[in-house]
Amino acid sequence: MERPIFKAPGTPVEELDTPAFVIDLDVLNQNIETVHSFFRGRESGLRPHVEAHRCPAIASMQLASEGTVGGVSVNTVGLAEHFANAGVRDIYIANPIVTKVKVERLCRLARRVSMRVYVDNVRNAADLSSAATSLGVRLDAVVGLDTGLHACGVQPGAEAVELAKAVDGLDGLEFVGFGTYEGRMVGEDATREAASAMVETKGLAEESGLGVEVVSAGGTHNYEVMGAIPGITEVCAGAYALLDSRYAAQKPALEPAARVMATVIGRPEAGLAITDTGQKAAGADFGLAHLDAGFNASLKSLSAEHGSLALADDESKRLKMGDHVWYIPSDIGTTSNLFDYMHAVRDGHLEAVWQITGRGLYR
Amino acid sequence: MENYRPRVGTSVEDLDTPCLLVDMEALEHNYRFVAETYKDSACKMRAHVKNTKSPIVAHLQIREGGTVGGVCTAKVAEAEVMVEGGIDDILIPNQIVTEDKITRLCSVAERARVSVAVDNAENVKNLSRIASGRGVSIGVVIEVDTSMGRGGIRGKGHGVELAKLAHSLPGIDFKGVMSHQTLDGSPDRETRFIWGRKYIQQCLDVKDAIEAEGIPVEVVSSGETFTIDVAATIPGVTEVEGGTYALMSHNFDYMDDLRYAAKILCTVVSTPRDGTVVADVGTRALASPGGVMPFVEDMPHLAPEALHEEHIVFRCEDGEMPEVGDKLTLISGQQDMLTNRWDQYVAVRNGAVEAVWDITARGCHN
Repeated sequence: MERPIFKAPGTPVEELDTPAFVIDLDVLNQNIETVHSFFRGRESGLRPHVEAHRCPAIASMQLASEGTVGGVSVNTVGLAEHFANAGVRDIYIANPIVTKVKVERLCRLARRVSMRVYVDNVRNAADLSSAATSLGVRLDAVVGLDTGLHACGVQPGAEAVELAKAVDGLDGLEFVGFGTYEGRMVGEDATREAASAMVETKGLAEESGLGVEVVSAGGTHNYEVMGAIPGITEVCAGAYALLDSRYAAQKPALEPAARVMATVIGRPEAGLAITDTGQKAAGADFGLAHLDAGFNASLKSLSAEHGSLALADDESKRLKMGDHVWYIPSDIGTTSNLFDYMHAVRDGHLEAVWQITGRGLYR
Repeated sequence: MENYRPRVGTSVEDLDTPCLLVDMEALEHNYRFVAETYKDSACKMRAHVKNTKSPIVAHLQIREGGTVGGVCTAKVAEAEVMVEGGIDDILIPNQIVTEDKITRLCSVAERARVSVAVDNAENVKNLSRIASGRGVSIGVVIEVDTSMGRGGIRGKGHGVELAKLAHSLPGIDFKGVMSHQTLDGSPDRETRFIWGRKYIQQCLDVKDAIEAEGIPVEVVSSGETFTIDVAATIPGVTEVEGGTYALMSHNFDYMDDLRYAAKILCTVVSTPRDGTVVADVGTRALASPGGVMPFVEDMPHLAPEALHEEHIVFRCEDGEMPEVGDKLTLISGQQDMLTNRWDQYVAVRNGAVEAVWDITARGCHN
């Protein structure tokens, strides 16, 4: 577990031990306001995908801001249990839950909070049904559709409706609609295509007599497009709150609220600086972090525990051992899963330390 | 934090997934290989435990033999965990530069032998000032850049200058030199020996230059997994910093003497289309630096196609299509990053759980 040196609230951020995962509270609040205000008064609502930060402190800020459906989405039963324990009452697991142990945990969780699960297989639906029935609980179920990611999900249209009917006929499971994740960073055309497939499938299901309350799709990359399409009832966006360098490039209305502060530990040659922050802290699953503006330098590579910065001439003259540099993570979900603490900062001073208690909950 | 502590004796098929397994027979094989390789050599292993992050696992190699009796860590926090776990000899082959961290290092030095790598005079002076102020002694080795282009001195003269400085100051004990090497791709044995020797020679050249000034050099710490068998054959090298060799991953598949000990157990959760198999582990738990993919043990007909946050997608070529609920065993492409994602090892032998070990140094970034 991470063991940074404790610093009291009020400490200037530059005095934190590094690598430090630092959240700017004003930017975080602004990002939440920007995205949530889009959903206020719309047919669709936001369901924060809290896997992007794994932190109950942020989930409660999101749910306190109007514009949501009142619940969150996650990927694992472990995260669902965790956020239920933190007070969330309505949770969607946007993933098939298959193993016996997990099905049992899911059903027991449904005794305390409203649980919705993703189903793309009739045998799995039957397993969920029998577990739910024997525990006397009800699980909401969405039929998962593949609209472009080509991972889980049945095909939109007849195949989806057939599974929906099968789910609807099972005790303990309540068919409520359809869910999809159309893919990371897809553009407007692909978003509209995915939405059409979803809405058409909803129409077919309704024609066959099924009630469809939920059509869940989208993410931070396309929330304004997806969230405005008639028939879409919720958007599961997560990265918008803390953001990262990939989304920042795509979403000018939002700003990075999460950064990693690193220390220069070496200046072995002109034009080169070595930092104490590499892949293990910043992550490199979806590309390299970016250096924050304010440094005339770029992040050249990340090894396990080191960053190598290429410095322009003036920066090379200025930057010295012990100085701090700031990374903007390339994928906020990865970085949030690498630290155990977030340092919440306002006006350059530490305001709170939040434990990332959902880190590592892969089951 | 994950908290999965299956009963000892639980059959692997009954484990919940995803789950990080340690194949004890493979781990012991790798540790024995090291013990044999270094048995009669002046050079010994100093396992780099940034890869394994558990004092329990570190002790297994020390007990098996072939070691200096201590370990390397990349971070002060990892060193703290190792010393708390009973390891009493630590080398940090990395620069520790901040006042807070040097102070913690001094605290570790009160309970264990500790050395740290330097490449900068100001850092040497700071180490001396803080250590002497606290009445402890910290060992110092000079890092030599041989091929990484990262930390380390770039010329012999700079090495000699730093050695003289370290030798003259209180609170620090000049020990010697160290280097890391890197070799891309999948080199054959001959290539490994040629390049390994060439790189490590640069470190030995700095040692010779320092000794020519009358300063004794006790430690030459160099080598890693790809030179595990090379370094032992180079006179003058006193210790080798192997890391991945213990648990292994397929980026070192060319190291024929080593076996895969780290395995990820996962479950097929969806077979939504003909030939598509989706399992319940993705980049979050596997890590995928540069898009590196794992492979499925004993099932070469499952070709990894895509890694998402919580899923891996396989294309099933000729061969039996797995069903939803079936378990798969994956071999990672990058063991160091993999372990950094997990809080627990499930140690297995003969298909059953033997022990569950906390990965106590995971997340020790500081």
